[in-house]
Amino acid sequence: MSAAADTLQTAAVAFPSRAWFQQLADLMNANRTRQEQLGYVDCIAQFTVLDGGADGGPVAYRVTFEEFSAIAVAEFATRELGDADFALEGSAATWREMIENIAANNGRPDLEHSLNRLSHMGTPFKLVAEDPVRADAYFRFNQSLQEFVDASAQFTTLFDH
Amino acid sequence: MNEPVRIEELKPLAEPYLLKEEQLAHYEKAYRSDYQAWAQVLGENVERIRRGSYSLHWLNTDGGHWGKRAKPSSRGLTYTDINRVRGYGDIPAQADWMNFAPRGSIREPYRDRMPIVDDYIVTARDELWADNVITLYEEAKARQWNATKDIPWDELEALPEDLEKATCQLCTFLTEVEFVAGDFPAKWLYRTPQDFLEVKSFLATQLMDEARHQEVFRKRAIAGGGLLHASPGFEWALKAILDAPSHTMGTFLLNLLGEGLVLSVFRAGEMIAKTQVDKEIFRRCLQDEARHVSYGVLELKNYLATHPDRERGVEEMHRFADVGEQVILTAFTESALVEPVAVLLGGGLKQIDKGMEGLGHMWRVFIEEYLQRCKAAGFDRTERCTIPLDLPWGVAA
Repeated sequence: MSAAADTLQTAAVAFPSRAWFQQLADLMNANRTRQEQLGYVDCIAQFTVLDGGADGGPVAYRVTFEEFSAIAVAEFATRELGDADFALEGSAATWREMIENIAANNGRPDLEHSLNRLSHMGTPFKLVAEDPVRADAYFRFNQSLQEFVDASAQFTTLFDH
Repeated sequence: MNEPVRIEELKPLAEPYLLKEEQLAHYEKAYRSDYQAWAQVLGENVERIRRGSYSLHWLNTDGGHWGKRAKPSSRGLTYTDINRVRGYGDIPAQADWMNFAPRGSIREPYRDRMPIVDDYIVTARDELWADNVITLYEEAKARQWNATKDIPWDELEALPEDLEKATCQLCTFLTEVEFVAGDFPAKWLYRTPQDFLEVKSFLATQLMDEARHQEVFRKRAIAGGGLLHASPGFEWALKAILDAPSHTMGTFLLNLLGEGLVLSVFRAGEMIAKTQVDKEIFRRCLQDEARHVSYGVLELKNYLATHPDRERGVEEMHRFADVGEQVILTAFTESALVEPVAVLLGGGLKQIDKGMEGLGHMWRVFIEEYLQRCKAAGFDRTERCTIPLDLPWGVAA
């Protein structure tokens, strides 16, 4: 981990929250060398917690990736795609299990908890997109997206549920 | 120790190495007798040099676009950036420069003295173009990886024999099929005039991607026990791709259908991987494959959208797909593919039946995705798809 990334280690961050995804974005942006190895990421990815909203409804976090950076993180109280290329939807319990597994394995999930493993059969994660070309962005940038969530092992996550 | 072999004792080769005499003779005749223009150019050049005379014609910018400088964007200087400069980004609907003269250069004065490359037969832009091709080219360059050092090979763990054999058989299949996605673009790359440089550049990245895929699966198999069985069904599907009568038809069969299926295999491979090494391999490969699929969808979309007789163009594609789907199905029903995937899905040879259930689900997902991609390209195969929507496993039992 770079010195810059070291300094980003903060107190525990609640999940789901905009701050949690912003923390991932900050970690990604602090490690440009790794991003340059992985290559450009140009997409808007939405991460949806189907029952993560205050009322038990959906809450979505839309992360805009451009070139080697995550340039914006926004929160929406809906599962609508908006301008996202695709959404990865799952329950709070699924998200929690994945995040805890990544942390327990020091930033690399075990065989059963990678993004693709959890989404390939449409359950427990589901990939949603309005057209297949935009859905393919999830695959084109899969390694980068995996490492984006793997960075959650670098800080402590608090779960409300 | 064996006696050293002396050169004079070596037997002559049965046939000339690599070359047939008539091929060389044909080349000699063509360039000594048939073609005159190059000899005239050479003569003029030699005479000028012997005179000690400069031409300096290349300083004349008439007919060119001199002085308009391209400016880089945030990520460097891309094709999009240089195509914004007037005179360089006009991609002709019909190419008529059948040689290497660069698009945007001062080339017209020399047209009559330049050779014609007979192999350049894909002269219509809309037989090749896709709106995402420049983006995908930049992305492909930025997301290259190295199968030698980017995979954590030293973490490769020995698996139980049934799982290892299933993994190695899957890798044998992928080694067998991957390079057709290199040979096919290579076949059309050299048939494409230079004015379509953006597409040629993207096809070159696809070639590199497929070389790497063939490499990584060959390495994985040989590091895990060995290559296993090749299959006739794979071979017929690959030949059908190479034999496609046009670039668009072959791109449909390879990039949209074939690589769409292989993308599903990669995603499944990552899902059922039994080691972190395999997970990393499949994840890296599926990224590359998804680029090829994206090109295939938008290339077909552009082809049909710009076809002068769209109805006829669609019907020709349907006729081709009616055959192509069946030949591709030959590969994807081979036991040398279906069974190892089922073993990996189930978790072992004894759980192969459970694995076939999972495969049935994946089959449905794949067919749905294939039909969605066709529809996104403006090519609705819903009513004509010849691949069964459900895996017909055991229906006759």
